[in-house]
Amino acid sequence: MVHWLLAALIAFSWWSIENHHTDWHIWSGVSILTLLLFRLLWGVVGSSTARFSSFVRGPRGVLDYLHGKWRGIGHTPLGALSVVALLGAVSIQVGLGLLSQDEDGIYAGPLAGLISSDASDEARDIHEFWFNVVLALIVMHIAAILFYRLRGRSLTKPMITGRAVLDPGTQPMKRGRWWVALISLAVAFAVSRWIVAGAPPFGST
Amino acid sequence: MRIAMFAAAGACALLAACGGSKTSQSNNAQANLREEGRTDPTANTTASNAMVLLAAKPVSGDQAKKVMHERHEGMEATGKAAKGLKRELDKGSPDLAAVRASAAQLANLAQKSSGWFPAGTGPNVGKTGAKPEIWQNPQDFAAKVAAFQKAASAFNAVAKGNDVGAIKARFGDLGQSCKACHDKYRAEMHH
Repeated sequence: MVHWLLAALIAFSWWSIENHHTDWHIWSGVSILTLLLFRLLWGVVGSSTARFSSFVRGPRGVLDYLHGKWRGIGHTPLGALSVVALLGAVSIQVGLGLLSQDEDGIYAGPLAGLISSDASDEARDIHEFWFNVVLALIVMHIAAILFYRLRGRSLTKPMITGRAVLDPGTQPMKRGRWWVALISLAVAFAVSRWIVAGAPPFGST
Repeated sequence: MRIAMFAAAGACALLAACGGSKTSQSNNAQANLREEGRTDPTANTTASNAMVLLAAKPVSGDQAKKVMHERHEGMEATGKAAKGLKRELDKGSPDLAAVRASAAQLANLAQKSSGWFPAGTGPNVGKTGAKPEIWQNPQDFAAKVAAFQKAASAFNAVAKGNDVGAIKARFGDLGQSCKACHDKYRAEMHH
């Protein structure tokens, strides 16, 4: 659900800025910020397969996987690289957006006031460029899903249902607790509101 | 249960993003602007004045280059002043002396702007963000330039006073007059 909202909001952000709806674009970016914060928290306190510690592996783990030696559930060691890259790139994109201002002095990200006007223009230029990096990662991400699908393995079904045919002997997923999710969400929500207010002591004076 | 929880998560994420008063304020400003355009009897005359200027005399050669350079510098200065104003007005207690200086500068630049678009200064002549549509819809473009000049004058007038709320509202109108024209007639520029 977080994933599809994220995908929809990234698409919406793209569409809205191409069509000069800068206010919607900022609104969409802040929603993405909230989702990212939630996902980062859920990656620490969430269900077993959502935790970064359960799936992020070093180069050795990735090589083992490529040699077919990995037995587990959830994100594969190679997939983990993709997860980290996507979350990281989108986080950078949101951060740049928060610091950006438009060319005309009409709209500005909530944190633009913390840096100089020139720096804010610079942030916007990089924000525009960085979207290409995000897009490239999304293309690779979708290509990987299609690659597995062509090899007869659907990754979207287990993602949505949380159910998959497991090799015998693997430990099944431990679900997260609903109240932990709720608290994570409340924290993500609160931090977003704080940033929207202009951060530290609520903006520059 | 899980689905309901995630649905709630999504709804909250969206809520976190909206509820800002700034958006509704700028929407109001836009509505005001539209209404003014409709009811103000002087709007048409200003528009046709601006049109006279636009239609005045096509330029070419060095003269075209000179106008395009002036336009670029002028727009750059306008944007810089507007961004400075937005920053100042977003602060808790804006420095009104600084606001007044920029407001006067903007009103002055706005008056000049109607001389920045003679025929012969389009993208086929040199690098510019001015779209060819400007010269295909001279009447609409002239009306938008006139609206910009009017909004800049109104902002400059209100900035002479001390009513920060009114100053912000007129600044919002001014921004919308920039946007109305840029959305339609400015191409993406990468410096």
